[in-house]
Amino acid sequence: MNFAIVLFAWLGSAWLLAVIEGWTITGRLRLTAPLLSGLAHLGRESIVPRTPDRVFFETAPVLLLIVAVLGAAVLPLAPTLVIADLATGALFINAALAYVLVALIMAGWGPNGAYAMIGGWRFLGQLIAYAMLIVMPITAVAMRAESLVTTVIVGSQDSLWNIVYQPLGFVLFFIAAMALAFRAPFDLPTAPGELGGGVDAEYTGVRLAVLRLARLTLVITLASATTVFYLGGWHGPLLPPWAWSLIKTLAVAVLMLLAGRYLPRIREADLMRWCWTLGIPLALLNIIVVGLLVLVVP
Amino acid sequence: MMSVLEQYSLLLALVLGIAATVLALYGLARAIGPAHREPGKDVPASSGALSRDPVWGRYHARYYGYALLFLAFDMEMAFMYPWAVVYREVGLVALYDMGVFLAILFLGLLYGWSQGALRRQ
Amino acid sequence: MISDPTMTITGARQRQGRFTVLQKWVSRALAGNLSCLIVPGPEVALSHGLDVTAAGMRITATPRDASVLLIIGELSEKMSEAVAVLYAQMPRPRAIVILGGQPPSTLPDADFSAGVSQAGLIDAVDWLKRALAKGAFSDSPEDFDAAVLHARIDYVCPMHPEVVQNEPGSCPKCGMDLVAREAGESAPEHDHDHGHDHCEHRHHEHEHQHHDHAQQHEHHEHEHHHGHCHEHHDSHEHDHEQHEGHQHSHENHHDHGHKHQHDESDGDAEEKDSGHDHSGHHHGGHGHDSHEHGGHDHVGHGHSGHDHGGHDHGSSGFMSMVEVTKDLPRSADGLAMDWMEVPFGPVFPGLPGGLKLTLTLDGDGVTEGQATSLVGMINESEEGKEIDAETFIERLASAMPLASVSYRLLACLAIERASGLENDSATDHARDVALERERIASHLGWLAQLGRQLGFAWLTDRAATLQLEIRRASGKRLVELTPALQALAARLGRTPLLKSRLKGIGILPSGTAGLSGPVARAADDAGDAWARLWRRLDEMTTSLDFIKATGEPELPALRNIGRGSGTGEATVETPRGEARLSLELEHGQVKSYRLDTACSHHIGLVATLVEGRELGDALVAVGSLDLSPWEVIA
Repeated sequence: MNFAIVLFAWLGSAWLLAVIEGWTITGRLRLTAPLLSGLAHLGRESIVPRTPDRVFFETAPVLLLIVAVLGAAVLPLAPTLVIADLATGALFINAALAYVLVALIMAGWGPNGAYAMIGGWRFLGQLIAYAMLIVMPITAVAMRAESLVTTVIVGSQDSLWNIVYQPLGFVLFFIAAMALAFRAPFDLPTAPGELGGGVDAEYTGVRLAVLRLARLTLVITLASATTVFYLGGWHGPLLPPWAWSLIKTLAVAVLMLLAGRYLPRIREADLMRWCWTLGIPLALLNIIVVGLLVLVVP
Repeated sequence: MMSVLEQYSLLLALVLGIAATVLALYGLARAIGPAHREPGKDVPASSGALSRDPVWGRYHARYYGYALLFLAFDMEMAFMYPWAVVYREVGLVALYDMGVFLAILFLGLLYGWSQGALRRQ
Repeated sequence: MISDPTMTITGARQRQGRFTVLQKWVSRALAGNLSCLIVPGPEVALSHGLDVTAAGMRITATPRDASVLLIIGELSEKMSEAVAVLYAQMPRPRAIVILGGQPPSTLPDADFSAGVSQAGLIDAVDWLKRALAKGAFSDSPEDFDAAVLHARIDYVCPMHPEVVQNEPGSCPKCGMDLVAREAGESAPEHDHDHGHDHCEHRHHEHEHQHHDHAQQHEHHEHEHHHGHCHEHHDSHEHDHEQHEGHQHSHENHHDHGHKHQHDESDGDAEEKDSGHDHSGHHHGGHGHDSHEHGGHDHVGHGHSGHDHGGHDHGSSGFMSMVEVTKDLPRSADGLAMDWMEVPFGPVFPGLPGGLKLTLTLDGDGVTEGQATSLVGMINESEEGKEIDAETFIERLASAMPLASVSYRLLACLAIERASGLENDSATDHARDVALERERIASHLGWLAQLGRQLGFAWLTDRAATLQLEIRRASGKRLVELTPALQALAARLGRTPLLKSRLKGIGILPSGTAGLSGPVARAADDAGDAWARLWRRLDEMTTSLDFIKATGEPELPALRNIGRGSGTGEATVETPRGEARLSLELEHGQVKSYRLDTACSHHIGLVATLVEGRELGDALVAVGSLDLSPWEVIA
């Protein structure tokens, strides 16, 4: 029963995020927009490019969707509202999200088209840039919570949210989360202006619908992960815990959306250089600082 | 509280369920009709030029300097997960131990930086 | 306004017997989700004053995502071919809407035609919504076919690649059977094929070579560069980047004493290309192309230039990667990788529509690039054909949609000077204000393009809104809009990642020949894309000050020249640089003319700008030049 509720809640947030995204683009708030858009995609032809790598081409959208949902499966809405409260929750999220790379490389290689191929390999470069910046802040969070269980991590923030305790970690994690979800300004693999659509370019019809759904769900998963790790999860006055989780998740997701709208795309060379020369030393510093704080603060 | 096996089987069921849903959607789309085969439709879109050349070849990934360092740091993170969980228990010693490890790797990063690994090749 | 009363679209899907309810819902959903691909480009729509998103359609970047093909204005022949390719790549149900022109010959009849106006666009969208809701599925949709979609088949001699015939036969030089090969495009293209598909062919080749016992082994050379043929190597573990694998297959078929003869002329592109020949390849069932190298210098693909002289396979036939890649062209860091030639063709988001940029990519870095314009105008008038002065002005203005006022002014001035009319300061002032107004609008259009290219959605929207407002604004309204423009500039200065994106990109120092307009003026500063951005923003401010000081704009209209004759020359500073027109007038008819524009010179700079840059940087550099492919004189 919990399973169904949580799944529904995540799908509902993805729906709401789609509505909000449509609102920022067209200026009109249409609640049925995602459904109609999905139907429209269903009704268009699903073209398979000539001489594709069929396995890769077909697997990529499905894999991306599976990854996004698996990541959301370990994130709690409320102390008991979680699909699978794994003992290694924080690690599991990382493991699942690593497959985003696999899905995108498949989407790049599969269609046998130049734009997609370049997009796929660019995402690998992006991963090399952001991967450490996802993992190191999570480690610092786990240090404070003394556990990798996501419910315990949220529980450890009942006195003080991690965003206040480890602000550096939050900033790094947020940026890396945007890069993982390949949202602007980190949308190198799907850049319309540079790659004519990139990895999305060769998907049409129902496969494109699944891919878009997967991207939305991925943003929700990462926003929820940010909420769980840094924004105190379900903690908050008045409203029931699950409401706070959802509100915070949506707020972070909308923030990611807006960042994409108001910032130009970053250059890949710059992204890698900044992440490695600036980001990783800062992340290491964050771990050391948190390490000291954890020992000093009761 | 579910056992670990139950949790993972639940996750597996979730994976299979999603795959089944997606296949059902594909079936629905196929019920509406297959893609009409026409000349030129299946050539990858290259903004108005018909380029049939396959692109599978050796791609010059220019971030291999970063990739090598990434491997080292990734292995380090694998060690840090369990360390983070027992950190508070063990105390300051844990910080020293991991600090030495991190310092060595950081020196590696600095060395790579000085040798020009941290740039677009 | 022409519309089909039966509400059908030629690009409909096949209706199935069952699932009609689902088809009905889907049709309604499709009607509500119109996405269009604008040809030649969204900047043309903006310069004609069309607001596509306000009309209810979403603008897409690729044909795969589009359900409507929106064609604005007349298309040249080459663009018609490109549009046919784009239309073929759109998934059904698809519709064609043409605003302000005749349907291109390569496409089926337009589903809806109208004049170039926002009202026409809104009517089109209304019609499309109704037509898609009813006619997205039809009983027998027509196939779409166009000549450009089919490959030409050439027959080539495996040993003498210069022997090309249209029919099968035998080579006049050596008597070998000619082999069929597909050619995808008429322009010389080269190909780097490394597809899996070559696997089966490898066998044929080996047998062929073996039996042939030809001393020339150029054919094998290209095999080295083909990825992977796992069937051949059951005993070896290779990933398909290991070309050694092919050497193993090699040794299965040959003894080691083979000396590979190779072309002596490593430096000669033509000869190199011969090695790239795919003898023995039967491409019959493959959608796979091998292009003969044309006159293109493909140092990049010098896969053929393998020097195996004295090469010893060793006891196991193992060839290290060093040996395999010995003579391939190197990238800047010394690695030899596969290069691909990718078109960033006429309708690419972020680049001006009609500009075909062909880049040879080494990974994501550009090794060489070439830009041509598919919509450029032809320079000299036809011999003996006289054009009425008014017609000439209209034609010139409509041939340059992105700067129509400037060219109208240019033509008016040239004709008036040719007929000897004196300057009239009142009309001159009004015309100059119109010119400055167009300068502002043009720079805003460029900013919108920059936003599309950089993925900066806010900039695209804001610049597009302002451009639509300013296009036909009165002097008073323009003064009112000054704070909005200043806010835009200030916001751009504050945008975090913009400077790092544009600084140092596309540097054209002031000594470069052929610079004109904002590009030339920015070359005095730093000559990079950032300097050009600020130069254009400054020009907008200067133009606004001029307008405030001068008065109301008035579109240039030809004054009464009677039946004047003479020669005249005029120069106008268009938003992109200096344009010069000299013409000969005879009794009120234009006998001959000569036009020189800034973009014709700028397009030649593209090749140097993109060389050696990363793909994104190269595209931004080209975009920062603000090329108008219409103004490129052929």
